[in-house]
Amino acid sequence: MNPMPPKWADKFLRWFCNPALLEDIQGDAYELYDRRLEIYGKVGADRRFIWDVIRFFRWSNVKRSKSKYQTNQIPMFKNYLKVGFRNLRKNWVTSAINVSGLALAVGCAITVFMFIDHQLNMDTFHSNYDRIYQVINHVKQDGDVQKWGDSPFLLGPLMTENHSEVKRMARIEYQSGNVRFADKVFNETVVFTDPDYMRIFDFPLLDGDRFAMDQKEQIVISYNYAVKYFGTEDPVGKRMSVKYSNGVIQSYFVGAVLDEFPVNISFGFNIMAPMQNFLDLKLKENYDWSQFADATFIELHPNQDPTAVASSLRPYIELQNATDSKWPIETFELWPLADLSVRNHEISGAVSGGGHPAGRIALSVIAILLLTLACFNYMNLAVAAATKRLKEIGLRKVLGSARAGIIKQFLIENVVLCLFALILGVVLCYSLLMPGFNMLIPVVIPFAFSSFQVAFLFFAALLLVIGIASGAYPAFYISKFQPVHIFRGSQKFGGKNIFSRILLTFQFIIAFTTVIGSFVFTDNAIYLKERDWGYEKANLLSIPVGENAVYNKLRDKALQNADIESIAGAEGHIARSGRLTTMEHLENQYTAMSYAVGFDYLETMNIRLKNGRFFERSKPSDLTESMIISEALAKKYGFTEPVGETIKYDSVNYRVIGVVEDFFYNDFYSDNHPVFFTMAPEADYKYAAIQAAPGTVMDVDAYLKEAWLEISPNDPYNRLHQNDAFLQFYNDNESNIILISSVSVFAIILSSIGLFGLLTFNITKRLKEFGIRKALGAGKMNIIRLANKEYVWILTLSFIIGAPFGYLLIQQLINEIYTDPQQPGAWPFIIAILIMAITIVITVSGQVLKASRVNPAQILRNE
Amino acid sequence: MKGTHLGEFEELVLLTVGSLYEAAYGVAIMDEIIKQTNRGVNISAVHAVLQRLEKKGLVKSEMGGATAERGGRRKRYFHLTRAGKKALDDSMELRMQLYKSIPDLSFKFSST
Repeated sequence: MNPMPPKWADKFLRWFCNPALLEDIQGDAYELYDRRLEIYGKVGADRRFIWDVIRFFRWSNVKRSKSKYQTNQIPMFKNYLKVGFRNLRKNWVTSAINVSGLALAVGCAITVFMFIDHQLNMDTFHSNYDRIYQVINHVKQDGDVQKWGDSPFLLGPLMTENHSEVKRMARIEYQSGNVRFADKVFNETVVFTDPDYMRIFDFPLLDGDRFAMDQKEQIVISYNYAVKYFGTEDPVGKRMSVKYSNGVIQSYFVGAVLDEFPVNISFGFNIMAPMQNFLDLKLKENYDWSQFADATFIELHPNQDPTAVASSLRPYIELQNATDSKWPIETFELWPLADLSVRNHEISGAVSGGGHPAGRIALSVIAILLLTLACFNYMNLAVAAATKRLKEIGLRKVLGSARAGIIKQFLIENVVLCLFALILGVVLCYSLLMPGFNMLIPVVIPFAFSSFQVAFLFFAALLLVIGIASGAYPAFYISKFQPVHIFRGSQKFGGKNIFSRILLTFQFIIAFTTVIGSFVFTDNAIYLKERDWGYEKANLLSIPVGENAVYNKLRDKALQNADIESIAGAEGHIARSGRLTTMEHLENQYTAMSYAVGFDYLETMNIRLKNGRFFERSKPSDLTESMIISEALAKKYGFTEPVGETIKYDSVNYRVIGVVEDFFYNDFYSDNHPVFFTMAPEADYKYAAIQAAPGTVMDVDAYLKEAWLEISPNDPYNRLHQNDAFLQFYNDNESNIILISSVSVFAIILSSIGLFGLLTFNITKRLKEFGIRKALGAGKMNIIRLANKEYVWILTLSFIIGAPFGYLLIQQLINEIYTDPQQPGAWPFIIAILIMAITIVITVSGQVLKASRVNPAQILRNE
Repeated sequence: MKGTHLGEFEELVLLTVGSLYEAAYGVAIMDEIIKQTNRGVNISAVHAVLQRLEKKGLVKSEMGGATAERGGRRKRYFHLTRAGKKALDDSMELRMQLYKSIPDLSFKFSST
């Protein structure tokens, strides 16, 4: 057997070559091959054969059509486009609203996709992106295992020392401090970190030395803080000082300024100081295994297995468990940087931000829903429009078009139209939807994709899916018709189109669902806005004082102002700072929020007493052995007569002297645990609570701000109006309302477009019928009823299905996000029905009136 | 004009088809050109030119009998058509005409 040329090359030749030329070409190639075998050997001959094949691969040799006939597709394609455009022009109103409806849905889809794309591609600008991990701990707490971002303080250094796979590590330690430059003082979170932080991560640098933190006294600040503290001055080399919670003041030089953070950042700090300074603070004498750092990041050497590294950390678990029985670590896990922002909801104390997947899922569902609505419109209208084009299809078939040709025609028309919608959608997204969406969410999503490939794939997929999904049904259905039936007029089609009705019903179910959902949600949000917090909050102010001396000075100043009704000190402050802890009564242990407060604090805060008494100056024993509990706590313990009961907390027995009404110290997203108050000695005061006379709170605020400069110039005047305590929550809530209402508005628009389009076509088709009816004596009302009949049924059915569905769905959602929602009444339903009814009447009336006004003489003349 | 104009390589192939007479097929033409002109020619180029010449009507082709040496595939034999012969004549004539009109002087000039 002779050696043969490479099979694949031969196959390739046979595949592309025009059959008429193949024998000749292949023959010559083989002849040369055989000859070269002797000269060059097998390898050389093979190589030359391949080269010949490649050279033969030229236009003149390529097989261009399977068919024996030379058909030219381009004129047909042109014809499809031309006929398509003519049809568009003919029905330009319906086409225009149809395309704009689709564009709206596409715009929403693009916005949502960009949002998700952005969220899933956080932090990718770090060049060691795939080698950076955070140590995550599984900690056993209250019977179940929680994942914590905090990790043992001692772990990091041991990892670089003892584990060769670990290249670098950087711990993160937050400390609150009053940061000062010249006369600017603000309370900030200072981040202590190991100097390698700047080697592991590639935060872009604006000025100074990237590795400034190698020197203990140098810090790195962000661009924002450079502007905040230094304005136009050059910060590098300037001295800043920080006063920490234990009163220690450290001063540093600014060593470097980071550039503005990239848009896809999930974490980045504003002030970073070398870790050594944290040790110097001596918050504790020495740091053992019970001390936790807020995060530990490591960078592995290339090609290391993180799970192996994580399991090699096991010996430290024993060390930690032996020292700290309260927070026993079960396992260490290494989470790649890519996961941190995507799964940050799973960890407590996460450093990196990032949305909850529920948001991403909900938005995707919404986007797909809107796209589905728009595609349904499309299908309905395309089917309806095709009824007018039956003759065209018949003629095409008679003139020799195959079924495939008709299908192709319809699909091409659709894809071209969808391309319009796509372009319009991009414009809509860029100019309206994305800016609007960005106003609703706390971060700014850029109008961009993470990469060109992603963008290309997304748009290609979108175009294909909507183009084909919306065009497939009409294309395949209509192309089936026989010309004979079409021309004889016996092709029954579109008159009682069940399919269109099902689609329309489905659309309105979605519309009703979203509208009712949005009203139930809004109703609940309004209820929360007006909800009683359990105390009168309007005239309250609170100021962190740091230490007792400051409090005393503040109190003296406050007493001089007649508008200030009362002032009280406390260690914690409601809605600002409390301690979540456990307490015992007999055998029962419960979690509760605790506040240690001074005399008059509860009175100042307008807390409502239910039973017993508040703390009293006349009873000094209150300081050490009395406790006031909330109703919820009393209920939890099952006290029938709470006053006088004993509760053990922090190994001290307290006697309950009073019960207060429940109040909210946390916003309505979060859990509000039962609360108890104990007394704080004056030395422990950290906050001052101030009650102003009604209507004077602004004046009091101004007065205290002025006075503060005298009282404590080194600390910021960081007051909080109690009214604003849940500001974040209310802002979020407002955004949610806008978001959900926009979605329902979009859904209404899209389904109304569907209704309008279908109605228009059906009425146009039945104009003759109406004309005859009129000629035979039917009145206007008669015609209106006839034209509306089937739609009334569709809408009723949609409401019956959609309303309970929307109610249940949104109820589920509300229960998921709020801890204590209200049960909705009938109002949302009534408003929803009204809104839908009005929209429908507006949509329908024009067309129906047109139908009722037909002049039989004109309509029937050209029969 | 495109139909009548002959490119340099086209003319070469056409001449070779003529000279090989009954035995002009792809590989043989290529071999002959390589032998006569000493330049590297790829078989695909020869095929392309033969297709073009056939389209212009300067050569005609027909399949020969099966042979053993090319995996049993037949050869496509080319021969000159009347138009092909005329095209060659025309181009020869044109060359001779131009050649003759060169003044003697320039021969002397270039030979020194």
